[in-house]
Amino acid sequence: MKDYKLEVWLTVVCFILIVIFGGGISSFFVLGVDIFFEAQEAPADFELGDTLYVVKDYVLGFPLHYFLMVVLSWLGVTVVGIIWSLAMDRLEERQKS
Amino acid sequence: MVEELFEREGIFVLGLVFSLIVLMISVGIGAFSRRLTRTLGDYYVAGRSIGALNNGLAMVSLALSLTTFIGLTALIIQGLYVAVAVYAGFTSAFIALLILAAPYLRRHKSFTTMAFISERYYSRNLRIVSVVVMLVVSILYLGGNIKGIGIVFYYLLNVPEAYGILVGGLVVTLYVVMGGMFGVTYNQTFQTIVLIFCLMFPVAIILQQLGADGWAFPPLGYGNMVPDMQEVMPHYFWPMVEHPVTYIGIVLGAFFGIIGLPHFVMRFFTVRDAKEARWSTVITVFLVGLVNTTVYATGFAAVYFMQDKGIYGEVPAAHYDYMVFVLTNALAGEGWLAIAIAGSVAAGLSTVSGLLMIMGAGLIHDLYGSIKPEVDDHKKLRMSYWAMLAVGIGVTIFSLDPPEFILEAIMWSFGIAGASLGVPIVLGIWWKRTTKEGAATGMIVGFLASIIPCFFILIMGMDPTEIPIPVISTYLYGPLGWIKVFALAIPLSFILTVVVSWFTSEPPQEVKKSVDVMHGWEDYQEERYNGLGLPIAVIVFSILIIASLFTLYDTFA
Repeated sequence: MKDYKLEVWLTVVCFILIVIFGGGISSFFVLGVDIFFEAQEAPADFELGDTLYVVKDYVLGFPLHYFLMVVLSWLGVTVVGIIWSLAMDRLEERQKS
Repeated sequence: MVEELFEREGIFVLGLVFSLIVLMISVGIGAFSRRLTRTLGDYYVAGRSIGALNNGLAMVSLALSLTTFIGLTALIIQGLYVAVAVYAGFTSAFIALLILAAPYLRRHKSFTTMAFISERYYSRNLRIVSVVVMLVVSILYLGGNIKGIGIVFYYLLNVPEAYGILVGGLVVTLYVVMGGMFGVTYNQTFQTIVLIFCLMFPVAIILQQLGADGWAFPPLGYGNMVPDMQEVMPHYFWPMVEHPVTYIGIVLGAFFGIIGLPHFVMRFFTVRDAKEARWSTVITVFLVGLVNTTVYATGFAAVYFMQDKGIYGEVPAAHYDYMVFVLTNALAGEGWLAIAIAGSVAAGLSTVSGLLMIMGAGLIHDLYGSIKPEVDDHKKLRMSYWAMLAVGIGVTIFSLDPPEFILEAIMWSFGIAGASLGVPIVLGIWWKRTTKEGAATGMIVGFLASIIPCFFILIMGMDPTEIPIPVISTYLYGPLGWIKVFALAIPLSFILTVVVSWFTSEPPQEVKKSVDVMHGWEDYQEERYNGLGLPIAVIVFSILIIASLFTLYDTFA
């Protein structure tokens, strides 16, 4: 594959990853609510409707979805940035040679 | 109980001493940096001599403004999970800046974003348009930060916010005028070290007092407190209170906003080369993430504290911006409050200085330079000093009537910058076929599509679902529901930029060659960054995002 196409594809893949890690994952939590929450009947005095969403899984005490959002939006994107930068450093060396 | 928590009496001497130390060091660094400033290049971009570590640290404090200290805690109290998601988007946005723009802009050799737009789109008029946009987004961004300085001074001196705004605004103006970009850079590096220390330690103490098992590592140290929170506030961790497109709006606003906000991009014009630009961004995102995840803990602690004291719902919304100091004072004591306030001062100064720099540069280098291109650099340098002074004084006065929530103004700033500047910058780097007509259309429509709702919601204070724009108002429901505006404005800007570019004449050959140069190529190939794949993908995904805004309404309303 030509270098510029590699550059473009790598950037596209990294962009998709950071969209997911940085915010798209929360959309997934909403659309896939049954994966992370169990819907129960809310108490009569609950102000936010008839349904109580109870968290299914926990990591280090945090709800799984919250833990994923916090960690991926920080460490996940940092790793993506490191991988992309290393790849671009190599591409730059090839361009110079 | 509520009044007792927010009451201040007399001058807070310890806090004043620590804050004055920070202020004096900042002014001293500015004065020292004046010796390093000889040319226009030194004044605007520190002679392009800054290394990766220094630039990375400087960008951290540029990103972590008073909104991080004060505004995010307030936003979490108001928006809970959604507020944390907003900052998750902001944190990740630095990698978007890295992979889409930073090293490419560095190779372009412009001084400012506006200069880049002018040269890439071979249009003096677009430079003027981008200066206007830059001033609007910078004033929005600044208004929030300078209000934060007013809040800090209320805690120091028990004086009305207006006095703090005047003093803080004038001090930062002084060291920006004196030191230029060298002064700004070295101050931001110093302020990063100060604010990381001054934020993380008090938060650790707060968590310890509230009973967190992992208080020594605030970002992930409060898990044992979650069951108590869920008992009184089961919806704290609920993402489903929002339509899923809200989170896409957050991502779009953050990612393209950070590229469009000139004061972030300007940092990349100061580094030695593209490689330094890349690695400084990686350093930045790691440290920004460390601090932001600590502030998520602060927001959690604030809500927990308010629930525990039975005052959640009794504290007026306008006081949320004070909660971080209330919490520190109540749980960590006055010593740590003094340190937190000194950190806030550092955070506020660093961001305001970066914004003043770009506003002054925009006015002289871009606006005046476009009107009178024959003026030499020496005269521009002298005029830059006066422009910075005038901008600093003007913004300080403007900020005397700031927005109620400092972070909301900044979020709008991101979204407007994304729709009007971020889109043409990204397409200008990655698609040779982007024309000046396409960029102009996207910029103007993106700007209007975001600034008009901003006027009604932020400035006029209207409920987002009641603004007189029927096509969208119905869909702006939910906590921070107005963020969905960005899920319309930014994709619309992309669609129009691409479509209008297709129907207008190709850019000149020199401009197309400059795209290859930005990507590090010494030779030119017509096929590079000139295909159909990217524009088609951009249009398809933009349409999908806009369409999703208007669907699933009944499910999530």
